[in-house]
Amino acid sequence: MTGKKIKEKVKLILLNIGFILLSFLTLIPILYAFSISISGSNSIISTEFHILPKTITMDNYITILTERPFGRWFVNSLLLSALTVLLTMLVAVPAAYVFSRMRFVGRKRTLYILLVLNAFPAILSMFAIYRIIKTLNLLNSYMGLVFIYAGSMAIFVFWNMKGYFDSIPEAIEDAARIDGVNDRQLITKIVMPLARPSIIISSVLVVIYVWNEYIFSTVFLSGAEKNTLAVALYSLQATDYTRNWPLFSAAAILTTLPVLILFFLVQKYMVSGLSSGGVKG
Amino acid sequence: MKKKIAMLLSSLLVVSMLSGCGSEATVNTESNVTTTTENQNTQTTEPVNITVWHCADATIADTLQKQVDALAPEIVVTFERKENMSDALKLVGDDPESAPDMFMWAHDKVGTFAQMGILSPITDVLTEDDLADFLPMTLSAGEYQGDKYQLPLYYEALLFLYNKDLMETAPETTDELLELMKNETTADQYVFVEQHSTSYNAAAWIQGFGGYLINENREPGLNLPQTVEAMEYHKQFVSYMPADGEYNTVTTLFTEGKAASTIGGPWLVPGIKEAGIDLGIAPMPVLPNGTSLTPFSGVQGVHVLKHAAETKKEALAEVLKVLGSKEAGVALANAASCAPANSKAYEDASVSENQMIMALKTMADNVVPMPNIPEMDVMWSVTDDLLAAVNKRGENVQTACDAHQKEALEQISAMQ
Amino acid sequence: MKRGKKKAWFYSMPFLIIVGLMIVVPLLYTVEISFTNMSIYHWKDYQCVGLDNYKKALLAFDSGFLPAFLRTLLWTVSSMALQLIFGFFIAVGLNAKGLKLRRVYKTLLIVPWAMPAYVSILLWRMGIFNTEFGLFNQILKQIGGKPVNFLSTNGMAFISCLVVNLWLGVPYMFTMMDGAMQSIDRNIYESAELDGAGFWKKHFYVTIPQILPILMPVIIMATFTAFKQFDIVYLMTMQTGSKTGADINTVITYVYEKAFITSNYGYSSAVAFIVFLIILVLYKTMNRREFSISEQ
Repeated sequence: MTGKKIKEKVKLILLNIGFILLSFLTLIPILYAFSISISGSNSIISTEFHILPKTITMDNYITILTERPFGRWFVNSLLLSALTVLLTMLVAVPAAYVFSRMRFVGRKRTLYILLVLNAFPAILSMFAIYRIIKTLNLLNSYMGLVFIYAGSMAIFVFWNMKGYFDSIPEAIEDAARIDGVNDRQLITKIVMPLARPSIIISSVLVVIYVWNEYIFSTVFLSGAEKNTLAVALYSLQATDYTRNWPLFSAAAILTTLPVLILFFLVQKYMVSGLSSGGVKG
Repeated sequence: MKKKIAMLLSSLLVVSMLSGCGSEATVNTESNVTTTTENQNTQTTEPVNITVWHCADATIADTLQKQVDALAPEIVVTFERKENMSDALKLVGDDPESAPDMFMWAHDKVGTFAQMGILSPITDVLTEDDLADFLPMTLSAGEYQGDKYQLPLYYEALLFLYNKDLMETAPETTDELLELMKNETTADQYVFVEQHSTSYNAAAWIQGFGGYLINENREPGLNLPQTVEAMEYHKQFVSYMPADGEYNTVTTLFTEGKAASTIGGPWLVPGIKEAGIDLGIAPMPVLPNGTSLTPFSGVQGVHVLKHAAETKKEALAEVLKVLGSKEAGVALANAASCAPANSKAYEDASVSENQMIMALKTMADNVVPMPNIPEMDVMWSVTDDLLAAVNKRGENVQTACDAHQKEALEQISAMQ
Repeated sequence: MKRGKKKAWFYSMPFLIIVGLMIVVPLLYTVEISFTNMSIYHWKDYQCVGLDNYKKALLAFDSGFLPAFLRTLLWTVSSMALQLIFGFFIAVGLNAKGLKLRRVYKTLLIVPWAMPAYVSILLWRMGIFNTEFGLFNQILKQIGGKPVNFLSTNGMAFISCLVVNLWLGVPYMFTMMDGAMQSIDRNIYESAELDGAGFWKKHFYVTIPQILPILMPVIIMATFTAFKQFDIVYLMTMQTGSKTGADINTVITYVYEKAFITSNYGYSSAVAFIVFLIILVLYKTMNRREFSISEQ
């Protein structure tokens, strides 16, 4: 028994070392960005490489946070992400559940279409999307963007959720029904808690997409007061005239940070009722 | 399967009824409606709002914004930074709901937007007299099919920049430069660096030899004997420069003192000075044929969209007069060392004493304004391909030039 | 809830409307534009020109297209294989019993996903692969090697892009796999362990069969995405003004350079639609079975 325990311990230590190494390798480009962001001179690259720059300064972060409307960009991104997550999940999750649990005419064909639609390079339909948004009278508004984003993310979320619902044994629901649970209780008390990890992952998927999207928002929104973090970031490096690498890197790190914090926070809730015997965050 | 095709066809039909080939009529009525409402606005004394899209440096935009602020409260002008402006304009056209009233851009897109029919000639808003003071080169740059579509504000061209600590005097000829490069380039110290495989930069060499990327008759010139000769000659220099010749690499080498000279735009100068380089600006070196390197020039200016010219003509005229004024030119020169398009601005001492502006001014006879025809859009990318093939993949110059000339012709015909 | 066809459509209607409006209608509209001569020369006054654009589009599928197509197949297969293998082992590692720092590792490893892709690609290109200052070349210099121009030769550039793609794509893949593994009933493992199954057997006979049906749609969609790859290849090797000299065009970058830069909307829509059909045909011929998996 003790021999087995020691073996497990060694295994865990090795696993930890592996993960530390892997995390370090993964983070090299990010550390690089970080090192640029705290350096005094304006260059992304230098002929003399230092992990830490010779002169360390927080000026770039201070500039972004105080001289630029970082707060507004952040709030805009937050608002846009929240609305998109809300709309996407509201439409996609029920549909995924229905397509997972029920059998009806037209189901197979719809599923097939929902899969192959991904083969179309969506960015090519920009012009058509513009026309639709214009027809809906949603030009230059967040709602217009929310529709565009929800449109492109709904299919992803649908498939994620459907795959997950498929994996939940129907027997659990049947048993609950026998116990006299009605439809609404079934959804809120049984299905949703079971699907929690997948709902969270899907939401994170949507948040990251919206948080980093800049092509649609640069084209469909005008006015500096509507800028999101991704757009502001893009405009910090977009042209030869305006390139300021340390500032850009600082902005990139500040843009990434909230997503990471969010991800770290929600992980606690990513344990499904099904895997209760398993690891708890 | 048949059912699917039928479904597809019927949905297609629906779409075409919604928007299809009859969309012209809808567009027209829409713009008519807005026209009348906007007219009512101008008749009452409400302020006229004018939006200008730009993607210029913040200093430049702020300077211009200050100039037009004097027109408030009757006319309120907003300079609005717009990323991906060219793509956005191709999408919104001159739709009054989403397009700006004016936009600021280099003159090379004039042809594209004029051809789309979304630009109004500036002479519809201003009189010829209003344009009398402008340098002729800056005015003609924005001319497309006989109409002037751009009010020029300032112009820019590539300059020969050198580090006085590393190079006492700039070489007068390219052969001299090549000799220096051969003898003095070491593993981590370059004599000369440039974006050798970027069309905008390489054009200086091609044009110096008498070649061109595309001429006024919309004929690409990638396999002209002159172009081939220029590419052959230029190739010798490339082997003594960093292989990737990319903007960041080149700029960093120069600002870190690892390269003694470079060819770059005026926009590099603030960064170079900030890095503490003792900067010298020299005339372009002379090629063996007696002509000096002949770079492209770009004229930055404002363009008026059709819908705005129809509804806000008077207000636009006021704004354009302020933007093109001598004072605005002087302000731009002082704030960002821009070479003003208004010739009157040069009477001001602060402009005529600015070393960089005067370098640009003396060069003005020796530059080629970028072609502004729509075909230029594809030429940028095809020429980049050609340069990469020759300078980076080491392909035979003649074969590569022939192949890319063919490619350019194909793409131009595909535009129509 | 098993019966009630009306209920089924009722609950999925908002979803179908959004997808229809934002995906299907634009697609059909693009097809419609492909039958017109819409371009900068006929931006407002475009008319139907029948199949002209399709005839012209065949030009874009010239001798350069086949290598690009084959390269894209190679790209799709290798990038999917890499992502699946890496994603799987990371997810398995994360689910190991007793791993206390699980949340920390997960957060650190998803950083590449959380950063805007164009920023990351820029960082890789400038910071890692650059010939003068890139990290790889700095290290090579330190150990006395000659600098390597990673992005200028086809083979090297292809591998470099694969590395970047793996880096960008693995966080998504392992997160999905981790999520799927969470849904496995732990009792199955316990009984497998009682039967004496080791690490490989356990995962081959329990984990993979359990997560595959959940992940199949995700994998299929990721495959489509890999096939449609544009930004990595484009930003790494062929950005305007800084082409590196390598020709590692994928189908999409190839048709982009051939058609989209012409601003001829009719023509490029036709090309786009043909690419769509090619992907569809490919999908149909390659996995008749796959779909039935997601169907169970």
